[in-house]
Amino acid sequence: MSLKPLPSNTSRFEGCTLTGALSVTTSVCNSISVVHGPRGCAHHNFSLLHATALEHDGVGAPNIQSTGLLENEIIFGGEAALERTLARTASLCPACIFVLSTCIADAIGDDAVAVSRMDWGVPVIPVPTGGFLGGVFEKGVNNALCTLSDLAEPCSPEGTINIIGEKNLEYEVEENSTEIFRLLSLLGLSVNIRFVHNISHKDISHLGEASLNVLRDPGAAPVGDHLKARFGAAYIPSFPYGIAGTLQFLEMTAAACGVPFHSAVSEEISVQEEVLAGFSDLAGTRIALNEPGNASPVSAVAREVATALKMKVSDDGYRVPVPLDLPVGTAGIHRMLHRWRRAIHA
Amino acid sequence: MPECTNPLWPCAMTGAAACLAGFDGMTVVIHGSSGCYYYPTTLLHAPLYGTFIIEEEVIFGSEQRLLQVIKEVASSGQRIAVVTTCVPSILGEDIRAILASHDVLLVDSPGFSGDFESGYRNALSALEPRINPEKPGVNIDGVCIFDPFYRGNVRELVRLLSKANVPVATVFSADAISRVHEASPFTIGTNSDIASGVGENLGGTLGMKELTETFNRICNVIEGADARPVLEEIASEEERIIQVCDKFLRRFDPPRVAIFSWASYAAFAADTLRSYLDAEIACIGTRSTPSPGSARVFERAEGLSQVQALVEEHKPDFIIGSSFERSVSGDTAFVGLTPPLQGKVRLASRPIAGI
Repeated sequence: MSLKPLPSNTSRFEGCTLTGALSVTTSVCNSISVVHGPRGCAHHNFSLLHATALEHDGVGAPNIQSTGLLENEIIFGGEAALERTLARTASLCPACIFVLSTCIADAIGDDAVAVSRMDWGVPVIPVPTGGFLGGVFEKGVNNALCTLSDLAEPCSPEGTINIIGEKNLEYEVEENSTEIFRLLSLLGLSVNIRFVHNISHKDISHLGEASLNVLRDPGAAPVGDHLKARFGAAYIPSFPYGIAGTLQFLEMTAAACGVPFHSAVSEEISVQEEVLAGFSDLAGTRIALNEPGNASPVSAVAREVATALKMKVSDDGYRVPVPLDLPVGTAGIHRMLHRWRRAIHA
Repeated sequence: MPECTNPLWPCAMTGAAACLAGFDGMTVVIHGSSGCYYYPTTLLHAPLYGTFIIEEEVIFGSEQRLLQVIKEVASSGQRIAVVTTCVPSILGEDIRAILASHDVLLVDSPGFSGDFESGYRNALSALEPRINPEKPGVNIDGVCIFDPFYRGNVRELVRLLSKANVPVATVFSADAISRVHEASPFTIGTNSDIASGVGENLGGTLGMKELTETFNRICNVIEGADARPVLEEIASEEERIIQVCDKFLRRFDPPRVAIFSWASYAAFAADTLRSYLDAEIACIGTRSTPSPGSARVFERAEGLSQVQALVEEHKPDFIIGSSFERSVSGDTAFVGLTPPLQGKVRLASRPIAGI
């Protein structure tokens, strides 16, 4: 990006609320997301989600309906267009319909919530969005997750774990969740639901059955707080990052669930030693980190790994890639090290 | 009815940005939110700028922010174009007046105003292309950075024109911005759906028949032009096409084809397959509005559900389209012609136009 964000206005650059919300709602199987706005808004997001689906080994394309607002609706109001679209969408008998607004629909004052509350014969759930008027990408994700969580009723916890707020547009989304499944299994714990990643509308009703929520990253804290208030379940603030961080994750999760952790931690230490041993040839190599900033969490993890492998971080070293998002768990470190070795050998 | 399932084609704002960003020496500023900025940026792989307006500017006005960005990008010394998105265009601000004291081209092209092609034409019109009657050669038309074949098309036509001893004047829209006002009086096209309308149209370049006719016309109007080398190459390559297609037909039935693209590309694909493979054209679904009076039967395929319905109805054994069509092709043979073509990285720029 050519323009640097101003400190007071970082929200300018953090993406569209609508895109964030759609990354959640389109991951509810058999649902349809209605985007109330010009066709271009729906196309932009459909194209992005479609491309993401292709990158995720061809998982099905999202189902997005556009109300297709044109100049006439911008002048005279677009609620009739939303009604027409909802009538047509409801006739397709989806499990539920999500209604997401856009900047322009909010700017002209359309009441998408009121139209959604009419009787459509299927659940119609308005999600507060509205493009940049609603906030940023992360706000869209959190708004959608909180809205969807209200579809579940409180119930008795059953000792399982929810994964909350996975980044569905992330290239490694499946690999990251697989790592969490693996780590939880070391503690003898299992996952209740992935909220929200390729789950059904019915699955959401089981949300309250988990004893603990593991958030994808601290940005989902408002969702963690919302779920805690609604269902009483505590949360771990993020997926595990780094060597020590992964072990700490095991300890924190075990403590929150009241299960022993010593055996799991010992087992994971062995896994980590084995991974690092596989890259012992890199010991002594000088590397330079392509990083967003020395004080960033990504940088801290990269330096921890470099130190563990006795590599030297220096500006005149081989320039190795540092992931945009922190590598998750020991498996994330493993993949990052392969990329480092590729860069060193390139 | 404007409502649509999984819309497959970008909006007017993206069309305008695609046109303007194709010109070297042009700095394009998207006046809108980050969401409206990121899509054309990732789609076009062009260095666009944005005002990234937020709620505050929607309420209190975007003038200060727009001028701040203009000031920042002005240091590049390039011509600046501002493309408005949906919300700024309804704020009631007189953006033209705001920009009056700056040498800035304003293109009002909000997404709700129309489709990609209308935005593209709107932007090109705002550039006010001019003809220099003394300019030698021909313009190349219908070139757009949104088209995955645009670079290959330009290279191929530059090659063929050079072979015919014809200079290239202005390429609309992938050229130096200064050449927009130095166009030749004559133009040849690649994609008539985004024709510039500049100069006398000497014809298209899609397919051997059209190419032959166009180069013959070029020779009639351009002094010193010699079409013979190009016509010889056409004849020789067409012979190869005929041989290989004839060989195919010795063993296989002709394909039953469904084509989804711009109207001009779709018509080219249909004509080519029918001519050389005796193919049955089961259906043609277009993203753009076909030229008035077109003899062909086109169906609009603007949403994925329309594409799926056409595929299910016609049951083709060969589909031509974009990544969207590929995702509903199943085991049916597929070839990419239409943007976007995701998941493929081509190191060489392949053409659709020319030989």
